[in-house]
Amino acid sequence: MSSYIQDPATFEIVKNSLYKIAEEMRVVLAKTAYSPILKSAGDYSCGIFDCAGDMVAQGPDLPIHLGSMPDAVRAVVKAFDKDVHEGDVFIHNDPYFGGSHLPDVNIVRPAFYEGVHLGFACLRAHWPDIGSATPGSYGAVTEIYGEGLRLPPVRLYSKGELNQALEDVILANVRTPDERKGDLGSQLAATLRACDRLASLAEKYGSQRLIAYMAEVINYSDRLMRAALSELPDGEGYFEDFCDGDGIVDGPNGEDAPFWVRMKVTKSEDSIVVDFEGSDPQVPGPMNAALSVSASGVFCGLKTAIDPNSLIPPNSGCWRAITVKAPKGSVVNCEFPAPVVYSNHEMSHRTADMVMGALSQFMPDQVMACSQGTSAVLTLGGVDPRTGNRYVSYETIKGGFGARPNKDGINVIASGISNTMNTPVEVLEMAFPVRVEHYEIQPDSGGAGKFRGGNGARRRWRMLEGAAATGALCMERMTSPPFGLMGGDPGITASVTVTPPDGRAQTLPSKGAFSVPPGAIIDMTTPGSGGYGFAAERDRAAIGRDLLDGYLTEEAARKFYAIEDPEVLLKVAKEEDQ
Amino acid sequence: MTWRIGVDIGGTFTDVALVDDTTGNIGVAKAPTTPSDFAQGVLTALSQAMERYSIKPKDVGLLSHATTVVTNAILEEKGSRAAVIMTRGFRDVLELRRSARPDLYDLFQDAPATLIPRRRRFEITERLSSDGSVITDLAQNEIDELIAVLKADRVEAVAVSLLFSFVNPSHERELGKKLSEALDVPIYLSSEVLPEIREFERTSTTAICAYVGPILASYLKRLEQATESLGLPRMYVMGSNGGVFEASEGVAMPAMAVESGPAAGVVAASLAARQAERPNLLTFDMGGTTAKASLIRDGVYETTPEYEVAGGASANRWMNGSGHPIRVPVIDLAEVSAGGGSIAWVDAAGGIRVGPKSAGAEPGPVCYGRGGTEPTVTDCNLILGNLDANSLLGGEMQINFAEAEAAINEKLAKPLGLTVEGAAAAVIDVVNHAMAEALKIVSVERGHDPRDFTLAAFGGAGPLHAAALAEELGMTEVICPPIPGAFSALGLVGSDLKRDYVRTVYLRSDLAEPQIIEAAYQEMEAEGAAMLDRAGMPPDRRQFERSLDARYARQSYELNVSASKEKFDAAALAEVSEAFHTRHKQTYGHDNRTEPVQIVSLRLSAIGKIPSLAIRQSPASSGDPIKGTRLMRGMNGPVLDRAKMPSGYTVEGPAAIESIESTISVPKGWQAGMDGDGFIRLLRLEEGQ
Repeated sequence: MSSYIQDPATFEIVKNSLYKIAEEMRVVLAKTAYSPILKSAGDYSCGIFDCAGDMVAQGPDLPIHLGSMPDAVRAVVKAFDKDVHEGDVFIHNDPYFGGSHLPDVNIVRPAFYEGVHLGFACLRAHWPDIGSATPGSYGAVTEIYGEGLRLPPVRLYSKGELNQALEDVILANVRTPDERKGDLGSQLAATLRACDRLASLAEKYGSQRLIAYMAEVINYSDRLMRAALSELPDGEGYFEDFCDGDGIVDGPNGEDAPFWVRMKVTKSEDSIVVDFEGSDPQVPGPMNAALSVSASGVFCGLKTAIDPNSLIPPNSGCWRAITVKAPKGSVVNCEFPAPVVYSNHEMSHRTADMVMGALSQFMPDQVMACSQGTSAVLTLGGVDPRTGNRYVSYETIKGGFGARPNKDGINVIASGISNTMNTPVEVLEMAFPVRVEHYEIQPDSGGAGKFRGGNGARRRWRMLEGAAATGALCMERMTSPPFGLMGGDPGITASVTVTPPDGRAQTLPSKGAFSVPPGAIIDMTTPGSGGYGFAAERDRAAIGRDLLDGYLTEEAARKFYAIEDPEVLLKVAKEEDQ
Repeated sequence: MTWRIGVDIGGTFTDVALVDDTTGNIGVAKAPTTPSDFAQGVLTALSQAMERYSIKPKDVGLLSHATTVVTNAILEEKGSRAAVIMTRGFRDVLELRRSARPDLYDLFQDAPATLIPRRRRFEITERLSSDGSVITDLAQNEIDELIAVLKADRVEAVAVSLLFSFVNPSHERELGKKLSEALDVPIYLSSEVLPEIREFERTSTTAICAYVGPILASYLKRLEQATESLGLPRMYVMGSNGGVFEASEGVAMPAMAVESGPAAGVVAASLAARQAERPNLLTFDMGGTTAKASLIRDGVYETTPEYEVAGGASANRWMNGSGHPIRVPVIDLAEVSAGGGSIAWVDAAGGIRVGPKSAGAEPGPVCYGRGGTEPTVTDCNLILGNLDANSLLGGEMQINFAEAEAAINEKLAKPLGLTVEGAAAAVIDVVNHAMAEALKIVSVERGHDPRDFTLAAFGGAGPLHAAALAEELGMTEVICPPIPGAFSALGLVGSDLKRDYVRTVYLRSDLAEPQIIEAAYQEMEAEGAAMLDRAGMPPDRRQFERSLDARYARQSYELNVSASKEKFDAAALAEVSEAFHTRHKQTYGHDNRTEPVQIVSLRLSAIGKIPSLAIRQSPASSGDPIKGTRLMRGMNGPVLDRAKMPSGYTVEGPAAIESIESTISVPKGWQAGMDGDGFIRLLRLEEGQ
């Protein structure tokens, strides 16, 4: 019997305290960070780790980092072994040393109480720029050397003393260094807060006891996951899907060639194996994923399906029952020096969605159709003519959240491995030389089904007069549609065009840099999500309400739902509303 | 003789608290709440109170109340048929929100609720630039058709929220004027409701005003008729900022009335802080389903500008994305779903959990014998002897000890491998910890050490858990004011008249011209003075409090600092910058003194001072309060009748002090004493004493 069972109250108390610490890190980061991507969009994750680097508690942040952050802390443990002291701070971002992609910078700080090493606080934050040729560091390159500054695990503070030379090197390699310094300061403050809180817990419960409880919190999630798995039917599911491309124009017809990801999921009793055998080899452009990134998406999908009411505390214990395998050198388990920047979110989105497709073959009541499947990243950089200052803007635009076995998807909301926020239009226009001309729901973009997919968005930016910019795009689901499940239709794919003042619109490929002259407009539509179940089974009244609210047009009701007289359904919905 | 009367309209009961202005003596009355027509219950309770204490209408100097009408309309989605008008291209701001989902891994989560459905979200062609200049004129030719559509749809209220109206309100005002002329419904302009940056938060606040405005207006009208029929003065409404306001102000800004009830409790505690000479208080208000914590420093409570209505059960520390944000000052409360009715359970991995489900008033805890089968916090307190089977609910109800014991045994003790007492004790420890977390949010997280504070406990269940919480937080003193159950209602008659104003300015401390700031403050003071004129507040009782929200230029969240100097000049500018650095360091552990400070918003509170109030419930003059003994968590101790405790009487724990509405638990190592005003103080005894 586990030790905590004898004192369940203390266990519950310590567990809750650990999660509160991770949450408090988030508050400190958000309220003190400088760049919009952190303070407004929330692209960061906070976690508490044990001395071995296993995650004990994840803050309510981004699922994408859940599976891969432990590798970031383990990399520090491995590099510095026993040479870790109070007041040390480590920094790194290299995907070949436990990172995810170069813009995600990890700050890892050990916590001590009375000389005893308790564990680590880690804060991974997406910096809007980490160097490279393209503002925002989202260029289509063919080696990681082109993606920006690489930081293997290195010591930024030693026993409280700043390594000034290292900070100078970092700030010399990034655009808008004073903003980066502010962000770094807030990462340091948040991890310091967490370590202080861990020390107070140790003061209260004793260091060794706290360490034992931290281990037990991980065991607890493991037991809950296995209990949940045991309740589900055994089975095997196979799913394959193609990606739009890697940003490198190397197809036979001068296009960015698609490539395939294949997945087999085998569930037996209280464990599950996900095997990527048969996936394509790594690609020239930055769509290659480290295994921990591919696994992060898998974990996110499996957690949602196995624990659909979200009762199991997210930490490393959730993954003990799960094995993820992938051929070395494949696009989901790449080898150095393959470039990776896009894959961090685009491949983990993909693997999270594909898990649902594979699981639907034997547990269709606990899955969702494909969500937008992309972070839809647009970066813009240049000089703001209003101030003469250099700027980098980084935005992620949301699409549909997949339809479920018992309800519709959700329109324009973060889904899957992402949970970043939009930047308010008023904040964006104050900070950058752009104007947003519309930002609204795109009707008819969610896949038809018994339960409709969530609609995507349409958004238009216009560069101000005198403001030329270098843009970069990173999207998926422009040619590969978000799939429906159990007879549901796929969602509508995404598109992006740039129209210079001369009016000649140009459709952009899904990834890579492009130039935007002053006064040009950029139009983006984000993907809708897939539908669930056959469209013919959809409740007529629900179609009527969708018509009334304009989520669905009459034309689409005829086409996708075979409704001959949508105006009648609309009339009924109108009367009901009175 | 003049009386002040406060009415707290709760979910189950309408509580009335009365204070005699001359002596400070207090009285109480209560009647069932009548949700179909709240005025009924208010009338019954008021008549009862006036009869009981022989009060004539002309003796009532102040009448004030707290209402849940606004919150309930939002929670139950029973607001008015409202429409919103947005800048063309931005119809969906209310639905697009900030695009984050409330739960990361919940497969079956619902879309966040939208108070105004898309069918009633309209657009008008116009556009302002971020500096307020006009890019596209307001489309005059679209207004008539818009009016026709709104009429045909029979909307009951309209919110107007155009981009950058906080910089330049001219388009909103022009459109608002045309709408007011053509439509006989209230029109709310975002530039009047909340002239602040961030279109979603501003639109949400304005939409809430439109959604609840008509309901609040008719409710207040009905209530006014009722009090008039008793010959009573006009009734004030408690605002979420801790002040009261007149009905007409509330109709103009309904979002002010959102957290009316909980605010009253904190205000009452601030009165107690003054009276008990404990200016630094942590307040702890625990009822049947929730517990709330707040902080009073130097006798003053804190407010926060970030709040989400109906945002689920999570503590109020961070937007969780499921509710409706309002950006009006709300008393800084941390709330947890933990109350006497919270259900305890064992999860699949053998962990013990309490809440968030509650047995509520019906069926209530197992021991009430009204059909409850899930063990609750109250059942566990009963088993441990913290509560007594005979005195619970004043002995009015038969308490079923055996059923509570059986439920705890079956549902908790057996699966956990513990004794019934062991399981009950574990539940109490877990729930105490959850509540201690709420107290930590308002103290530790804001940079205050709870050990520098006294805990004030009220609400029906507050005094029962207070000493254990104090111990967990290292606090050594607890005060339990009189009438814990109706204590919140006392806050209603001790509140000042208050209205908050805000202007977004965006000025850097090193570049700002102080006279621009001074002019903005004066403009807001003129608005405040007009409000106080309307309320008939004499000049010597008026007060204007200036503060501002500041941050480092590249941050997104502000901290509020006081701008107390009479005139805002260069010296004041330096003073607020210094105060900001200090506050940032205190709150987050670091500051960046080399950077200029950005002043984002100027805030002004216009206050009409209500004469201060002393609360008193005369203790018994003499006698023996001990009515027996019982086992409390395994230790025998005396049980006292609070009403019979004379002033100066003390007792050492373990002991229980009982009254009809509440029990004070005095654990071992603590001493409780009655003071001359009817407050009971608990003190932690030094080791070995």
